[in-house]
Amino acid sequence: MSITNDQNQMLIQMIKEFTTNELAPLDMTIDANGDYPDGLLQKVIDTGLLGITLPREYGGAGFDYVAAAEALEKIAVGNASMAVTLEGHFKTIEQFIKYGNKELNEKYLPSAVKRIFAFSMTEPSGGSNPKGIATRAIKQGHNWVITGDKIMITNGGLAEVYCVLSKTQDDQMAVFVVDKDMPGFKFGKREDFIGLKGVPVGEIVLNHVVVPESHLLGTIGEGLEIGDNAHADARVLMGAVLTGITDHALQTAVSYSKERKALDTPLYQLQVTQEKIADIAIAKQNTQALYQKGAQNKITGRPYAEVAAMAKSYGSRSAVAASDKALQILGGYGYSHEYPVEHLIRDARAMELAEGTIEKMNFEITNAEIAK
Amino acid sequence: MDNNEIWVYVEITGSKIEPTSLQLITKAKQIADGRKVVAVVPETSKTQAETIIKEYGPDRIESLVDDQFDEATDEELADALFQVTDQNRPNSLLFPATILGRSIAPRLQAKLQTGLTGDSLDIYYENDLLVQVKPTYGDNVMCDIVCPDKRPQMVTVRPNTFRAKKVNNSQTEIVQAEFTFHKNKNSKIIATDPIINSSSKLDDAKVVIALGRGAYSEKNIKLAQKLAAKLGGMVGVSRPLTDEAEFSHDDQIGIGGASLSADLLINLGISGAVQYTVGIKNAKKIVSVNIDKDAPIFDDSDFAYVGDVTDFLNALMNQVK
Amino acid sequence: MKIVVGVKQVPETDSVKIDPKTNNLVRSGIQGIINPFDKNAIEAALQLRDQAGGEVILLSMGPDSYTTSLRDGMAMGADSAVLVSSRAFGGADTLATGYTLAKAIEAIGDVDLVLFGRQSVDADTGQVGPIVAELLNFPQVTFAETVSLESENTIVAKRQLDSAVQDVQVTLPAVVTVRKELNTPRYETPLNIKESFEKQITTWTENDLNIDFSKIGQSGSPTKVTKVYEPTKELKQTTVLPVDPTEAVSELLSKLD
Repeated sequence: MSITNDQNQMLIQMIKEFTTNELAPLDMTIDANGDYPDGLLQKVIDTGLLGITLPREYGGAGFDYVAAAEALEKIAVGNASMAVTLEGHFKTIEQFIKYGNKELNEKYLPSAVKRIFAFSMTEPSGGSNPKGIATRAIKQGHNWVITGDKIMITNGGLAEVYCVLSKTQDDQMAVFVVDKDMPGFKFGKREDFIGLKGVPVGEIVLNHVVVPESHLLGTIGEGLEIGDNAHADARVLMGAVLTGITDHALQTAVSYSKERKALDTPLYQLQVTQEKIADIAIAKQNTQALYQKGAQNKITGRPYAEVAAMAKSYGSRSAVAASDKALQILGGYGYSHEYPVEHLIRDARAMELAEGTIEKMNFEITNAEIAK
Repeated sequence: MDNNEIWVYVEITGSKIEPTSLQLITKAKQIADGRKVVAVVPETSKTQAETIIKEYGPDRIESLVDDQFDEATDEELADALFQVTDQNRPNSLLFPATILGRSIAPRLQAKLQTGLTGDSLDIYYENDLLVQVKPTYGDNVMCDIVCPDKRPQMVTVRPNTFRAKKVNNSQTEIVQAEFTFHKNKNSKIIATDPIINSSSKLDDAKVVIALGRGAYSEKNIKLAQKLAAKLGGMVGVSRPLTDEAEFSHDDQIGIGGASLSADLLINLGISGAVQYTVGIKNAKKIVSVNIDKDAPIFDDSDFAYVGDVTDFLNALMNQVK
Repeated sequence: MKIVVGVKQVPETDSVKIDPKTNNLVRSGIQGIINPFDKNAIEAALQLRDQAGGEVILLSMGPDSYTTSLRDGMAMGADSAVLVSSRAFGGADTLATGYTLAKAIEAIGDVDLVLFGRQSVDADTGQVGPIVAELLNFPQVTFAETVSLESENTIVAKRQLDSAVQDVQVTLPAVVTVRKELNTPRYETPLNIKESFEKQITTWTENDLNIDFSKIGQSGSPTKVTKVYEPTKELKQTTVLPVDPTEAVSELLSKLD
């Protein structure tokens, strides 16, 4: 076995241990309280999890995307929210690595092991359609002055550094990096979502925030490409998170159907149960295969946007369905807050919307097929 | 030069004789088959442990008297024992597998360059070889160990594995052993705090409520504690639960933990691995509750309840006066 | 401070079975993991290093596959590792193991402190620490539940005997074996995992150590295992209580008295 495999295996082992001890026991509490308990994020930071993908030169561990995605799958089995918080951070780091200039990266990336980074596109005027972007970046001397309103940001309010998709004065798309401590930066409201209750999804309001030229990510006009790239990177990781959620549903259904008996027969021996458990197990494998293919293509330099869209499209629908089947196996217990399956449905449902709706995935997949 | 005697180390902390040492004297007499049983006792001039030890009928007591034994270190104890066992080596040398016994015995073993089996559960002779039986690898495996060529054959034996029996009119010779207390300049006991409530040991509790992985929940822990308080007993756990925040190694039953001598033991959600059951074989009445009707623990139980732990605990709380 | 931590690899499961045909332990296919108690020893070493500076060296005796555990220990933060490995060491009991480790510690040189887990979860029962201490003529504290560096060359540790708690002061170099209650071992971190592959694992055979060949391996082991078997159980007469918990408890209480 190669050294990379050994290293990845050790990472996954370590992640499983951390998840079992620190995250899984809090899964129900996080859902009930609608936030991470005090100290949990600090523990995640102290254990170095923010730096999994960050290159070694910036103080990160420099694991590849395959390892990072698999790590998120295992974390999601214990708590999907934390996996999504890390997903938002990792996908943003990827854009710095790919598009960031040296000065920007040296200034910001070393702090990414301690501070959460976020990527913001959506605006109140509508969805993730970049054409309607109203945020403006105006060049003034050697600086850019940014004004606008971004919403539905994964980790909005929690993250300290934001990539902001903006339009320049001559209507070119560009991404700028802003820091929460800059004058004119304000946090807006946090969404009251029904699932992934630990992840803050929120708003930032920028009022004449001044950033130096080096804070331009990529080049002027490259904004949409960076946005698409961020989407693809996010969708690979979401496939991993959805695999974890489906696995959580599977484990809950399996252990319940072993213990619970109908008369004297354990539930798993009944054909109606077997049909559901098999469906859940197959869904898990399929989503896993899709995201792993996406991650593998990414690290080997092959196109991965389409398979990433598939991982998220298929993964989100099947995770919702799988959690719903697990609920049915658990019966009345499944419909109660005593068991996790009902919140798995709510958690998975978020990913039929986030980082592009299912409809948008289907549009992109179809276009890719037509173009072949 | 060897002799054919069985020596038993008598552990004294404070002024208390470790009961396991007395249990080992009785066991040694049972397997002696003509060999002399000798109690070797490092003690202070105030202890006078001989009077008590005599009641258990060793053939001889080798008393090592020095007031510095009051706060002797492992190094000093091992050194003193080495002086009296090296020249005329006994056939066997038995230690209680207490913290102290397990600390001194291997040091002495290295000095004597002989074999030592730790935490044995049974000992018997086959000719002149002391067969030492110990569990290994947790579940399901026992092994027999011997030390064919070196003497003494050393072993530490788990507390409460055997019962101590007093004998009448024993002819016990008491000898003041010749040795010199060598102070070790590199180690020192700087404080000793007696554990006041020595009855708070699982080993000696009359009633024990034991929790295993299958019963681990906040609710069950609370119920078990309430029930234990009501019955004047203690709560213990199987090894997996010592990893949980609520419990520590001190609460563990079985290999590496307590050996119970309880009148009543209630096992909750414990499957019954050998590493656990060796710690309960001297409990008088055993009640076990497990959701799995095939759990091995039921083989060791007088009463079996196949069902939910919480339901059973609630019923007990309601009905026990 | 130069701290050596003794590390043992144990089977991941504690239900090793016996092959009914060969009467040997079936160990193939079972993952090896670091002995959980040894993690407490590594944590203690790392804390002392953080406090006093110096280095933490892991030491193990066993086959090449033990590098897994050494790697794990380095991913917690230990600086380097030594694996004493050769067929000549095979079949060692606690005395031969203790002798070999003591010789390796001498070879490492200028060691201030040697830490061990209180015992391994599989077979031995905490003998190796005291044996190593005796052979190196170091003082020892066993089953320590607190360890503190009092001065440059003094350690004070608390240990609980069956009827008393002792504070033991030892002058370095010394051996300390630690209880689980001493600390909570830190997690490996992703960065430390990567770095663990860049740290060195030195492998020594019997030829690299200044040792008496008659004291190692099977020939240096005074004890022999003569039999390995599954224990026979005396089955008790078990009364199965009724399914209804209330009825079950009434029947139990009536029969107990």
